[in-house]
Amino acid sequence: MNTAVKIAGVQFKNPIITASGTFGFGQEYDKFYDISALGGICTKGVTREPRKGNAAPRIAETPSGMLNSVGLQNPGVDVFVKEDMPFLEKKDIVTIVNIAGSCEDDYIYVAEKASETKAQMIEMNISCPNVKAGGMAFGIYPDSVKNITAKVKKVCKKPLIVKLSPNVADIATNALAAQDGGADAVSLINTVTGMAINRFTRKPILANVTGGLSGPCVKPIALRMVNEVYRRVQIPIIGLGGIMSAADVIEFMIAGATAVQVGSANIFDPMAAFNIVNELTKEMECCKISNVNDIIGSLILS
Amino acid sequence: MKDYLVRVTENKKVAEDLYELTFAPKVGKFEQMKCGQFLQLQIPGLLLRRPFCLYKFDSDSITVAYAVVGKGTEKMVKLKKGDEFKVTLPLGNGWTLQDKHKKVVLLGGGVGCAPLAYVPITYPDREYFSFLGFADKSKVAFESEMSKKCKLTVVTTDNGSYGEKGFPTQALEKRLREIQPDVILVCGPRPMLKAAARLALAYGISAYASTEERMGCGVGACLVCACAVKQADGSVAMKRACADGPIFKLEDLVL
Repeated sequence: MNTAVKIAGVQFKNPIITASGTFGFGQEYDKFYDISALGGICTKGVTREPRKGNAAPRIAETPSGMLNSVGLQNPGVDVFVKEDMPFLEKKDIVTIVNIAGSCEDDYIYVAEKASETKAQMIEMNISCPNVKAGGMAFGIYPDSVKNITAKVKKVCKKPLIVKLSPNVADIATNALAAQDGGADAVSLINTVTGMAINRFTRKPILANVTGGLSGPCVKPIALRMVNEVYRRVQIPIIGLGGIMSAADVIEFMIAGATAVQVGSANIFDPMAAFNIVNELTKEMECCKISNVNDIIGSLILS
Repeated sequence: MKDYLVRVTENKKVAEDLYELTFAPKVGKFEQMKCGQFLQLQIPGLLLRRPFCLYKFDSDSITVAYAVVGKGTEKMVKLKKGDEFKVTLPLGNGWTLQDKHKKVVLLGGGVGCAPLAYVPITYPDREYFSFLGFADKSKVAFESEMSKKCKLTVVTTDNGSYGEKGFPTQALEKRLREIQPDVILVCGPRPMLKAAARLALAYGISAYASTEERMGCGVGACLVCACAVKQADGSVAMKRACADGPIFKLEDLVL
């Protein structure tokens, strides 16, 4: 049975990658299981300077999901390269550095720094709903998606994945813009902007007022968007949004994803990504799949 | 750190809106836990786990105390003997007493008294003085458990319906010169931490508090439970309540 997939020349032993912001830089979960079992890890978003993130509370449980507003808290790219990258280099896992910023120069700076590491890929976050400047601002309009992608691609010495926001008019147009800008792949969806209210205090539960919705409640939105993008672009798609099981992985691949990211599930259960990897071959057997690559985009519409 | 499948052995009400939940591992034994450490409990029907500090421990059985405050704890009340769920433990740093900490004050508010009750088990060879605060008589708990281990146990209620009227910090201040504690360990609501911080500063006593934040993963990865902590150079850093804490030096917390 084959579970290996390839994206932009990078080989993954299985299509399961942990999503940015839900897995730190890998050390914490490596205490529960050897993270080399995973196909890949996408790091916590790193920025040019260290960031403190938003005020607390930063999380709220909502029906079948959760809202978060961490706000890109991270030690900065220099500390990441020095202190966190060496651990990941020792692991038999595809490392994807997730980069973020407030202006073009920030993205270029971090992409250059991340290019000097042994990471195999870079994922550009232009879709964070929880930071005021930059973040999602770059990811809303197709022109700006294309522009920032082209500029980062010029300095980026690794395959570049552009992470797309669902909070836009037409995600497929933005995916096309990323492709036109030179992206090697797109990942989607980032979180859906939402809000939770305490009716007794009449205040938002999150200190940041709004946050990003994730978990099983967004899965149908994500599946729909992955399929819309699959039908418009040629570059590979990494699908994410509420993946909780190997069955979910297969559904995303049928919709058009070459690989997937597991996010909130890691927060709900520290063993989640590992369990999904272990369930995958069994689930493939149930669905009569011998090679995961055979099902990519195999959705039957008639 | 390990993820355990456990089954409920007891879930009992001990005071108004206050319960004790006891569970055992389905297989094997629990890893050793120390006072002030916590666990992440999966509540059937909810996605995010909820963090609870250790109240009672042995390798075959763990008890946590919980106040009914929201959707998660309302569901926990319905847990019955034999019900199964997952628990991740041990988490967090826990309280560490130094050799010089001979006389120890345990200062607790409401359900926050529970984690303090395990301190004398982790560190048996000290003298303990406990001050436990509750809203009113119907909510008083942990008194007999504490008085077994402490030289002095004082209970206060906000309205004076049981024990001394007022806050436990006030009851402590009256006796501070007499006790002369080496350290104060605190767990309770934010206003209590603030009052305790003022006392510790005024009397020059070191104090360590257990912080409470809404948590995500509980293992240090998601950065949801950040709390502002003063650093040696005077700057303020966002620390993870779950992995860097939950115990911090009280004077370092930005309250």
